[in-house]
Amino acid sequence: MRRTLTLASTLLVLLALGWLTPADAQTKEDTLVYALQSDVDTWDPPNSVLREAIILGYHVFDHLAARDLKTRRVGPSLATSWKTIDDTTWEVKLRQGVKFHDGSPFTAKDVKASFERVLDPAKKMTARGNHAKIKSVEIVDDHTVRFKTDGPYPLFVERMTALVIHSEKVLREKPHEWVQENPIGTGPYKLVRWNRKQEHLLVRNDDYWGAKPTFKHVRIRIIPEQATQIAELISGGVDIIKAVPPDQMDVIDKSGQARTATSPILRTALLQLDQAARGGPNPFTDKRVRQAANLAVDADAIIKHVLNGLGDRTATAVNPMAFGWDPNLKPYKQDIDRAKKLLAEAGYPNGLDITFHTGPPVVEPAIQQTNDAIVADMAKAGFRVKQNYIGDNTVLVARIKEGKGGPMFNWSWGYYSVFDADAILYDVFKCGEAYAYYCNRELDDLIHAGRSTLDQKKRAETYVKAQKLLFDDAAYLYKWGLRGVWGISNRVEYQAPADEVDRMFLVTPRKK
Amino acid sequence: MKRYALRQLVQLTVVVVGISILSFAILHVIGDPVLLLLPQNAGKEEYERYHKLLGLDKPVYVQYWKFASRALQGDFGKSWYTDTPAFKLVIDRMPPTLYLTTAGLVAALLIALPLGILAALKRHSFVDNLCTMLAVAGQAMPIFWLGIMLIIIFAVRLKALPASGYGTWQHFLMPAFTLGAFLAPITMRLVRSGVIEIMNMDYIRTARAKGFGERKVVVKHAFRNACIPVITVLGLQFGQLLGGAIVTETVFAWPGVATLTVDSIRNQDFPVVQCAVVLLALIIVSVNFLVDIVVGLIDPRIRVA
Repeated sequence: MRRTLTLASTLLVLLALGWLTPADAQTKEDTLVYALQSDVDTWDPPNSVLREAIILGYHVFDHLAARDLKTRRVGPSLATSWKTIDDTTWEVKLRQGVKFHDGSPFTAKDVKASFERVLDPAKKMTARGNHAKIKSVEIVDDHTVRFKTDGPYPLFVERMTALVIHSEKVLREKPHEWVQENPIGTGPYKLVRWNRKQEHLLVRNDDYWGAKPTFKHVRIRIIPEQATQIAELISGGVDIIKAVPPDQMDVIDKSGQARTATSPILRTALLQLDQAARGGPNPFTDKRVRQAANLAVDADAIIKHVLNGLGDRTATAVNPMAFGWDPNLKPYKQDIDRAKKLLAEAGYPNGLDITFHTGPPVVEPAIQQTNDAIVADMAKAGFRVKQNYIGDNTVLVARIKEGKGGPMFNWSWGYYSVFDADAILYDVFKCGEAYAYYCNRELDDLIHAGRSTLDQKKRAETYVKAQKLLFDDAAYLYKWGLRGVWGISNRVEYQAPADEVDRMFLVTPRKK
Repeated sequence: MKRYALRQLVQLTVVVVGISILSFAILHVIGDPVLLLLPQNAGKEEYERYHKLLGLDKPVYVQYWKFASRALQGDFGKSWYTDTPAFKLVIDRMPPTLYLTTAGLVAALLIALPLGILAALKRHSFVDNLCTMLAVAGQAMPIFWLGIMLIIIFAVRLKALPASGYGTWQHFLMPAFTLGAFLAPITMRLVRSGVIEIMNMDYIRTARAKGFGERKVVVKHAFRNACIPVITVLGLQFGQLLGGAIVTETVFAWPGVATLTVDSIRNQDFPVVQCAVVLLALIIVSVNFLVDIVVGLIDPRIRVA
């Protein structure tokens, strides 16, 4: 027995030696803790597809422009102003007196190097496609650059919020691998250390050019399990969590330690119908069947009762927050009799069988429950829908991309965070696009017209026409714009962001 | 003893080679890795280039030889997902998992030994029944549920422990107990039946006849012998423990190698999966090797047989 005890205590001592980590010079009062479900793959945002990488990028880097969360408009950041010289040239004035974390000054050279790096096909940057319309970047003087674009590029201003500015010196002197783990930006925080899949520690950049963050430190913890995140939030271990499941909101709100906040986000959910017959002939190639499907579903009731109000009904797939959204177009209202009549006219007086590929709740909360409600509604009009659940979202998306989505499937679109109708119409409705199961030349012309002029008034008119067409033709089964749910500790003030980019530098202590 | 150890070592080597072949095969069973790596619109030229680059144009035994000789030097290639050496990723995440499993093992023993002996000595009493009930409950409770319950009680309600994370001794208590509770029941039952069996042996009667106190009889004579099957089973259960670590690590946001492996499987990051499988297998095999040696040391009959 004594030997066992000796062995056990030796083990414990050994373990203790291994655990001891150097004490951090941070206190609870000056440290903000933010939790993510999964870690980033790199600290080089243009080299990642993950939203987490975008979020972390906002803390250590700056972009040329940034969205004002109150107005949702794009405003100045590293760029102070911009204007068009002609249809294909944008001139951007840069902020003076800005310093990178390594002390070097920010100039036009850094902008040119950052854009050229992402545009270089050999570098294989993930974000390349988002900026491919830019042909070249010219330095006019130390604080002025000109962008030449391939044709008129109305999304230029939106896309200025989508690329972090690296230091030219770092890109020139350091190898690619180094840049992946050592972000040197101009942003409000600096990275102190990164323990993969565990946590990131940030410290305030006291030389920041903009408003200085209140909290000196930000710890970003990786907590994969949602129940654990919620437990941490209501026990005071974490200050802000995102993507709270709707059924857990009560737990947080009644805890006395934290509260929930919701915000509409730039993501629309819909059911794609295979109008383009990518999977071969199917009933949805007939407009009347698509209309009947839209008329069968009582989406308003589903939002109210299944989603606890966490959705905003849309007439088409264009999100109310996107530029070009038409507020005058009213969504389909449930009308079972008309749906039945349309089905009979289309040759299905006795109803019809449909296979429905469904996915897991990765981006859409309560997707299974809302699917069940939709299927039940459709049955009333005569659709006999068989759900086919695909548990792995990557697999589902890959199948859809290859044209194997089937006649009807779950879909939602996050616009790549570009608040513009074009960001969904082009990818999800244009003939021949990987994620589009709709093909209509008339619509293609409108999409093309929308992206070929810099005149925002003309563009808005074009998108009104496009939405009318999509509504009348019932391209897909339209659902709603999603709302995000955040959990926020009662010790801090925080506004839930509509663009799904959490900004810890805007968090302040709550006034008592 | 030397010959016995040598024989075990040879067995160990065979197992390790077998595992390396299996993990090498992973890449070939799941289909063409080039198709997985390349974007969907890649051309035939690019395909051939990558095919050659990965050495897939060579015969399978050459490919295996290359894989094995590199693996011996700790080179499993770069992660397809993060562009860092797979070996570094796995090694960095190994200590937290080893600490967790060791702590879980210690926790299991701290629960199982006293309860098992107690149950054996007070056979069919209220205490024994209580221990049996605890064992059944422990076996029936999913790790996941137990972990969340502990968090709710000790972190949310009592605010006595951090709900999740890694770094201080407080962080160890709940995960170690969760994992220990998973292993304790079977160990406890083994200790109990072992002690019961041994308490009826002649040498126990002899010890008692010599006038030893009951305490000395149990601790010195009975327990030592009851330990042999327990140690063997603990060795075998070590693999199970690593399996339990996957769930425990997820619930407590523990930055270990078990979650890394699962994540890598999900991301189809095969160099990391291969490296993790080989290293974890190596650890399991080594633990079993040590167990065999220890058992041999305790019980001379085994090493002779």
